[in-house]
Amino acid sequence: MEFDWTTFILEIINFLILVWILKRFLYQPVLDVIDKRRAGIEKTLADAQHTEAEANRVKQQNEQQLADWEEEKKSAQTQLMAELATIRESKMAALEASISEEAGRRRVLDERRQREYERRVEERGVEQGAEFSTKLLSRLASPELEAKLFVVLLEDLRQLQSEDINALKEVAIVAGLKINVQSVFPLDKNKQNMLSSALAEVIGRKVPVEYSINPELISGYQVDIGPWVLHANLRDELKFFRSVMQHAQ
Amino acid sequence: MEASAIVFYLGPLAITSVVVTTWGIVLVLGVFCWLVTQRLSIDPGPLQTMLEGVVTAMEESIEALLPGRSRQLLPFIATLWIYIVIANLVGLIPQLHSPTANLSVTAGLALLVFLSVHWFGIRSAGIRGYFKHYLRPTPLLLPFHLISEVTRTIALAVRLFGNIMSLELVALLVLLVAGLLVPVPLLMLHVVEALVQAYIFGMLALIYIAGAMQSRQNYKGNNP
Repeated sequence: MEFDWTTFILEIINFLILVWILKRFLYQPVLDVIDKRRAGIEKTLADAQHTEAEANRVKQQNEQQLADWEEEKKSAQTQLMAELATIRESKMAALEASISEEAGRRRVLDERRQREYERRVEERGVEQGAEFSTKLLSRLASPELEAKLFVVLLEDLRQLQSEDINALKEVAIVAGLKINVQSVFPLDKNKQNMLSSALAEVIGRKVPVEYSINPELISGYQVDIGPWVLHANLRDELKFFRSVMQHAQ
Repeated sequence: MEASAIVFYLGPLAITSVVVTTWGIVLVLGVFCWLVTQRLSIDPGPLQTMLEGVVTAMEESIEALLPGRSRQLLPFIATLWIYIVIANLVGLIPQLHSPTANLSVTAGLALLVFLSVHWFGIRSAGIRGYFKHYLRPTPLLLPFHLISEVTRTIALAVRLFGNIMSLELVALLVLLVAGLLVPVPLLMLHVVEALVQAYIFGMLALIYIAGAMQSRQNYKGNNP
């Protein structure tokens, strides 16, 4: 354990040189690299924070925009629903009016059809009644019935109104006038005379009378005096009855 | 422990093997650092990662004790750690002896620590401010402060010298007494001891410097 001053001094110098060498070639370069890396990391962190802040700003902006859109959508939906409700109500009202109008039209049509049907049924009934009556009366037609109708004819002639008598008298003035009397059964001489007398009494003068047979009368008589026609037969009575029935409908 | 052999003379100076070994360490470290730092990059490889880890660990140790002053003290303290570790471990290489097993070397290092304490203290607090702390809290303590400065420097030198020299001596004795492979566990202890002693030496130097740099602040804090 001896102390050597040369070694002591040289070691101090050596150590100082080593301090300089290591500072120059180790600490400084390594620390520079570390600082550079730290600066890079801090820059990256700053950039990341900036990017994050920007992203947050954009996110908030997007969220705000989405909220606005949502609000706008809700408002539009509400408005649309209101418009749809209004349109639906107006359409429903129009539809109900149309249905009501159609129902009224159909009701009127049904009533018209019903009335037409009833009218046809009644006409058919009247027709059938007339046919039935015609057939029945045709079967009941007989000289006795015609004799009774002869009496009715004479009574009708006697009961003519004065206006009708005057009209007949004016017709009878025409020269060459012939009175045509149609009957289902031939009239005997007595009845012909009675009828001629009754006619001359009404007209006021003697007019030639022709007698003819017409089975379509069913029973009874038809007297043609010029344009005048006196009916005392079942056919014309049934026609009259039918026309009355039809008018009554 | 026999005296260091003189290898050659440089004029009137006798260059011992210890000095040559130290030159070798300086040369190897210098070349290694120069080679490694030629290809430093932002994306480090394994070797650069190791280097950065070592430098960062040392810087953080200094930063923990003296916040904000790590860059100022790093070259001196870190060089102490690196040099003493390598100097301690060189003794494991056959035919070589640890320079730190020589009192002249450890005394030189301790003297450097002694001077650096005052250097950094004066730079930090100014000459008056720094030397005033020897008179605090009372001028009566000045002799004790001076004795403490000297003794702790001597202790610093002798502690490192004694530990490393004794390790080599014990390994040599065990080798002589027990045989070839028996000192191997002792050599492993040598590795641990080399690291521990380097750490202790550097940390004590750091504490002394920190004490000197913070002396003015301490007094300001105690006497507002």
